[in-house]
Amino acid sequence: MRKLPAILLLVVTTAIVYMLDKPLGSLPAVGKLLDPISGCWANAEPVNKDFTREDNFPGLKDEASVSFDENLIPHINAKNDYDLYYIQGYVHAYFRLWQMDLQTRAAAGRLSEILGDKTLSFDRLQRRKGMVYGAEQSLKAMEADPRSKQMLDAYTAGINAFIDSRIFRTYPLEYKLIGFKPEQWTNLKTALLLKYMADDLTGYTEDIAMTALRDALSADEFAMLYPERLSGVNTVIPHDTIQQVPSLKIPVAPADSIAWAHLNADDFEKTEEGKGSNNWALSGSRTKSGAPILSNDPHLGLSMPSLWFVAQLTAPGVNVFGATLPGAPGVVIGFNDNISWGFTNNYRDVKDFYTLKETGKNSYWFNGKETQYENRVEVIKIKGKPDYNDTVHYTVQGPVMYDERFHGPGGLKRPMAMCWMAHQPSNEMLALYLLNRANNYETYTKAIWNFLCPAQNMLYADKAGNIALWGQGQFINKWKEQGRYVMNGADSSTLWGEKIPVSENPHAYNPAQGYLASANQTVTDTTYPYWYNGTFYEFRSWRINSVLRQTHHATVQDMFALQNDVYSILAANVLPVMLQHINASTITDKERGYLDMLGNWDYCLTAESKAATVFQVWWENFYNVLWNAKLSKIHNAIKPSPERTMQLLLQGSPYLGNVDDAVANSLHNSIDSLDKLKHENRLEWYHAKNTTIKHLARLAPFSFSDLKLGGWGNVVNAAKGDHGPSWRMVVQMSKNIDAYGVYPGGQSGNPGSKYYATFLDKWVKGEYYKLNFYTTDKKQTPKYIWTIHAKS
Amino acid sequence: MRNLKPIIIIAFLAGILSWLVAWWMIAAVSFVVTVNHKLKPRDGFLSGFIGVALLWLGFVLWRDIPNEHILANRLVGPGLLPLPNGWMLMLLTVILGGLIGGLAGWSGAIMNKAFRK
Repeated sequence: MRKLPAILLLVVTTAIVYMLDKPLGSLPAVGKLLDPISGCWANAEPVNKDFTREDNFPGLKDEASVSFDENLIPHINAKNDYDLYYIQGYVHAYFRLWQMDLQTRAAAGRLSEILGDKTLSFDRLQRRKGMVYGAEQSLKAMEADPRSKQMLDAYTAGINAFIDSRIFRTYPLEYKLIGFKPEQWTNLKTALLLKYMADDLTGYTEDIAMTALRDALSADEFAMLYPERLSGVNTVIPHDTIQQVPSLKIPVAPADSIAWAHLNADDFEKTEEGKGSNNWALSGSRTKSGAPILSNDPHLGLSMPSLWFVAQLTAPGVNVFGATLPGAPGVVIGFNDNISWGFTNNYRDVKDFYTLKETGKNSYWFNGKETQYENRVEVIKIKGKPDYNDTVHYTVQGPVMYDERFHGPGGLKRPMAMCWMAHQPSNEMLALYLLNRANNYETYTKAIWNFLCPAQNMLYADKAGNIALWGQGQFINKWKEQGRYVMNGADSSTLWGEKIPVSENPHAYNPAQGYLASANQTVTDTTYPYWYNGTFYEFRSWRINSVLRQTHHATVQDMFALQNDVYSILAANVLPVMLQHINASTITDKERGYLDMLGNWDYCLTAESKAATVFQVWWENFYNVLWNAKLSKIHNAIKPSPERTMQLLLQGSPYLGNVDDAVANSLHNSIDSLDKLKHENRLEWYHAKNTTIKHLARLAPFSFSDLKLGGWGNVVNAAKGDHGPSWRMVVQMSKNIDAYGVYPGGQSGNPGSKYYATFLDKWVKGEYYKLNFYTTDKKQTPKYIWTIHAKS
Repeated sequence: MRNLKPIIIIAFLAGILSWLVAWWMIAAVSFVVTVNHKLKPRDGFLSGFIGVALLWLGFVLWRDIPNEHILANRLVGPGLLPLPNGWMLMLLTVILGGLIGGLAGWSGAIMNKAFRK
């Protein structure tokens, strides 16, 4: 009789242990996780860990070393290119493996494999965009060139050498928390990561919304509210440096009835205001030292671990330092012994949409004929569920992104194909390979001409004293307005035509003005012969240009100040007008109280400014009230840009409707939000905007919020809620390069490491680290050294 | 202290086998050791509990002290492990390990008693 309870207890115990070994719903395997021997506690890195090691790496060709400084910035020294990129792969994986793995899975639409069906629609969207298709195209181009092929092969081998040395105990923490394991790296994953960036920077879909607006508004009104080019801008490429004679004949637009599609569906993906970047370079005539200074701060989604990892790569023929992208070999933004460079997004439109007339389940109408789709069956694996198969149709234009089976946001179900530059073969890897080795303007241009998508404003400064800027990417010789709206996909006259030779891309070299600056603004004026459109942002450019025009004898400290500048051109222009429209007799005491706070405001969005909060909240409401009244019939319409709104407001344009009412109503609407902030003691601007750096898995304890810094998307220091300067760099091209940099994060991706967020504090305060660039004639004192032998 | 020997054996063996095989060896070891030592059910539970709790406490401290508590504090909070601070996570870990060891030890002792002739 004593046997039954004994067996029962054993069964229960076994069941409990079994359950603690397996994830339950969204809970991780608790026993396995908390086990202090191999679980999460094993990721607690001793704060005085000695990173020094001596090791053999399988497949390495020669001896190599990695010297780390006190912030764990590695200086990789190899005897050949293969070893260099092998070790870069190993080092990236050593510090950031989980992030690289997650981001490439996200790019490929494979998150459901590890997270379950809550990410299925995200995965389907990725497949529909043709992310893997695009990566495969680029991979072909990358593997066709022996230099980029070797670079990728070596990098992949290095990552896999690290992965092969892992067991559960030594997995990065997030694998244990989420419950999956690292998989082998491939060259395709690197290509996917580059497409992930391309998607982030050229992925917008506002053609669809613009089509609805064009159809709904009168031609006159549409042109007034949504001008093709804004007037009064400071273009990326100054007027006097544009090459005005095109080598290609500008194509003639087909008749409107053939060119355009008209939409009834009324929804679209929202674009976000002010995602962008700044870069500028001063030539020696404007600096104190007489050497050019280059500054760059690319604005991207802020996350932990950071998108960037700082490193120096040294091998025969290359000595380069800067921001690298875990998941890709080479340095993306940085400098070498002779030149420095920085990128901002170019924002010329390289993604167009076509409506399709389906003639059957598997065919569409094209050039008067029934044409078969090419099909690509996307198999999406889902954790704990059967696979999901999605057949994506491909037309002559590209993948059918939306259709009956996969609606666009808001229910757009008309079949719509997408033509996107990111689907074309291109070898950005070779661009980086050559760029890292470029030593003058000529080799620089040859290098960047390989960089086709995402198009970037590529800034250059060298030790010889030259500065240059290219609006670089692959662009199409378009007819006027081609691709500004959704096109008719049934006719070949709407297809993309010839490619514009990259040598004709707009560029400037040592311009008379003595500086060059880009901040995602309009690229050229109308003297540039080819037609293009894009989503451009002007406020930061206006500010940067107005400061640089008056800058002489500049020092690197002046550049730090400008990167951290928070003066709002928008506020300085629109606030006085808004205040003029206030009817003093109708406002309440409470409203008066907030308005008084704006009294002596300097228009700076500083961290502790309460006036900044009042203005920002009020403006946001005003902008919405103003345009909602006007565009209410067009569901979810894109509003005219804040830049255009400002211009119309300053002109007193009748197209705005009743501004008095909008001012009064928006002020009234703002009071609740402002009162709430005041009540919570969060009226200071940094509380109100709440700049947050989220962990990639959205784990709050691994994230940082409420960071005490000023700024916004439309001021130079573009620190918004979750977007901002992801890497700030200032390089003075003197004989001994004088370089500074900082990013919001740390070199280690391990939340259990003291190096997880090393740089965050200085980034918030607007301070910089001096970048320790190793050169042959400078004595170095690394903190830790890896001595690496080739395995014999 | 009659129980001292099994406690030490459990802590020692569970440590080695967890390192080499998997975390659930703490249960297997506690079970086998209590069977072998013909312990009373209460002593079986205590030996398993104390043996594994000591082992886990040792490892937690060994990981946590040089880490200066960084990881323990990062792991707690809303959205992850809803505990007030890192100390509670350490305590929870040690108690969890103890309970698993205790249950397995108890099972071992009872089985031994039930099937002993």
